[in-house]
Amino acid sequence: MGKYTLIITEKPDAARRIASALDVSQKARRMEENGVPYYVAMRDKEIVIVPALGHLYTVSAGAKGRGTYPVFNFEWVPRFQAERGAEHIRTWLQVISRLSKNADSFIDACDYDVEGSIIGYCILKYACNDKEKVSRRMKYSTLTKEELEKSYAESLPHLDFALIEAGRARHEIDWLYGINLSRALTFAAKNWSGKYSTLSTGRVQGPLLKFLVSREKSIRSFVPTPYWQIKAQVKINGQTCIAEFAKRRIETRTEAEAVSNACKGSGQIEKVEVVRFQQSAPVPFDLGALQVEAYSLFRYDPKKTLGIAQRLYLDALISYPRTSSQKLPPAINYRSILKNLSSVGDYTRLAADLLGKPVLKPHEGGREDPAHPAIYPTGNLPERLLNKPERNIWDLVVRRFMAVFGEPAIRQSVKASVKVDGYLFYVKGKRTLEQGWQRFYEPYVRAEETLLPLVKEGLVVDFKKIIVESRFTEPRPRYNPSSLLQKMEEVGIGTKATRADTIQTLYERKYVRNERITVTDLGFEVLELLKNYCEKVVSVEMTKELENRINGICQAQEKREDVLAGAIEILEPVLKEIRQKEGEIGERLSNAVARTRLEESIIGPCPICKTGKLVTIRSKKTGKRFVGCTNYFRGLCNASFVLPQKGTIKVNGRNCRGCGWPTVQVRTGGKRAWVLCFNPDCPLKEGKRDTGIAMSYMRQKGR
Amino acid sequence: MQCPICGRKVDEQGYCKLHAKVRHLIIKRYDGWRKAMNISWKEYLSEIAKNPLTGEWAREVARHLIETED
Repeated sequence: MGKYTLIITEKPDAARRIASALDVSQKARRMEENGVPYYVAMRDKEIVIVPALGHLYTVSAGAKGRGTYPVFNFEWVPRFQAERGAEHIRTWLQVISRLSKNADSFIDACDYDVEGSIIGYCILKYACNDKEKVSRRMKYSTLTKEELEKSYAESLPHLDFALIEAGRARHEIDWLYGINLSRALTFAAKNWSGKYSTLSTGRVQGPLLKFLVSREKSIRSFVPTPYWQIKAQVKINGQTCIAEFAKRRIETRTEAEAVSNACKGSGQIEKVEVVRFQQSAPVPFDLGALQVEAYSLFRYDPKKTLGIAQRLYLDALISYPRTSSQKLPPAINYRSILKNLSSVGDYTRLAADLLGKPVLKPHEGGREDPAHPAIYPTGNLPERLLNKPERNIWDLVVRRFMAVFGEPAIRQSVKASVKVDGYLFYVKGKRTLEQGWQRFYEPYVRAEETLLPLVKEGLVVDFKKIIVESRFTEPRPRYNPSSLLQKMEEVGIGTKATRADTIQTLYERKYVRNERITVTDLGFEVLELLKNYCEKVVSVEMTKELENRINGICQAQEKREDVLAGAIEILEPVLKEIRQKEGEIGERLSNAVARTRLEESIIGPCPICKTGKLVTIRSKKTGKRFVGCTNYFRGLCNASFVLPQKGTIKVNGRNCRGCGWPTVQVRTGGKRAWVLCFNPDCPLKEGKRDTGIAMSYMRQKGR
Repeated sequence: MQCPICGRKVDEQGYCKLHAKVRHLIIKRYDGWRKAMNISWKEYLSEIAKNPLTGEWAREVARHLIETED
């Protein structure tokens, strides 16, 4: 090979796509060196396309800063120097470095956002020997051939250094916060108890935990208040409907009974209000909106949705998903996308309808992203069989794309006021008159349809039955991963690319559990300590202020060095105070860790003594695990049951449908999980006992 | 002194800060319940202790009040 252009991409799939798009015959040669793939394409000249594996460099403490805190000195190093299990990165960098030696020009083709820019910058600077200054930049939002060719031909003359500086500052500040505060907490607990457990917090993690703790406190302290609602079963024109009492909330039982006793016989419709209203088409998906919709429709958590969207992007099926834009510029060529989609049976008629319109104008939202448009289908069709989640997300993106071009839906609401014995009731209905955009978004539309019989003023209404419902006020709902992500977006903490990971970290640290998020004792304790000793670190305002300063770097209003110095100024006194009170903090954290571990091992109430709790225990003598009652240690209960010694045991919080005893879920190897009931006399084990399975395991599919 | 419910340090009125706050809330809510259902303090406590919507801490305080109050 003579001299060539070296293109750096973020992922191997992107390298393959770019190579194939740029090669004149679309047959780029795949090469491999020590397991590292790269591609050689022929165009105006020879082009070598080599992928990264996401971040190949990371922020790390210098040699003196390992295993201690505070640490404010750092450097960017190859990941294999800072992380266990990243040894393959060494070979990867060697190959890139070698390929860079024969290159006479360089192009950074990593994703056009903060992370992609840092990935490309680090490789060009460190592995390619300061080539970041001479490198050009490819900017694209889809991996389609047309867009890649265009972005190669019109590549930007240099890297976006302001974006890179801002990205570096974000990484460095997050590292400073994360490493110092996490080490402070972990060391405090370890020095007090002698046991290691990873505890962490960070610039975004702390404020996030604060939201959750605040919600958890309001739920745990909640005292419900009673109230009553009255409904009536009425007959209008021979059709039975439900009428609601005008006062939605009755505060005393006496009043509820008075209304119920008075409303008998028949009433009369006094007034009919008919309102026609428009429901605009939805706006295109930004990442957050896609994650929220996928959770609500398919129950995919935000991290899973992002992962799927990323795969679809690498398959060139959808545009770049890490976007906050709600705009679809005409340059993406709506008609061409729809034309391509029309070859899929499910979309043929819908796409044809849209293509029949003289003008295609999307209904857009207000948010913009300087780097990418909203998420849209590229019009390419799958080249491989998509799995179900991938199919679901692709279909959702396609249908949303079509829906944004739809006409507003026309809906009608009808409200009939019915008077009976001086009391006012409402009969309400709602229906869609013209589907408009809903037709394109069909299986995902959630529109309430309640059809009423023909109602008109003066019509007599028979009151068949009065229903008095006793109700209680309810606590605010728990956050789930999707609503928490929305909250983060709303208050502006974290970035679109990192929010889902931050939520996941809270689970991994055992600060929270369950899909409807519950804060553990450990989560409470960590936040309480952070609030006591470093309130600023968990303050949303501080996080937002830092976020604004980081964004200021992008607009050349701030310098990276100043923002970093400001962050260190906040951290330094906090770490000093934690160090001084390490003993007290360590004791509280260690106790919380122990309580959380116990909490996790509780299977349910002991069915033998009724007052203790069944927990999983590992025998110190034999090393075997079993189930025992917490009252054993007080000499009150001897209940104990064997557990399978292989596989993982998960507390599932469910009781056996045969005997009501608590159960656990067992998973061995790659086999399907099964439910184990401890009760030897469980009626569901009839027959199995006779075959000698004393403590048998029940396979209860779907329980 | 320790909170009789959770063992944390007593802050005020014989409870830790958390449970004291909840006790205050329980007292505050009684008026609404009395007007709504015409029930006594004891009946109120047992109603909220068994209500599934009652928060864990509120239930703990209600049960403790039932056990300790004459």
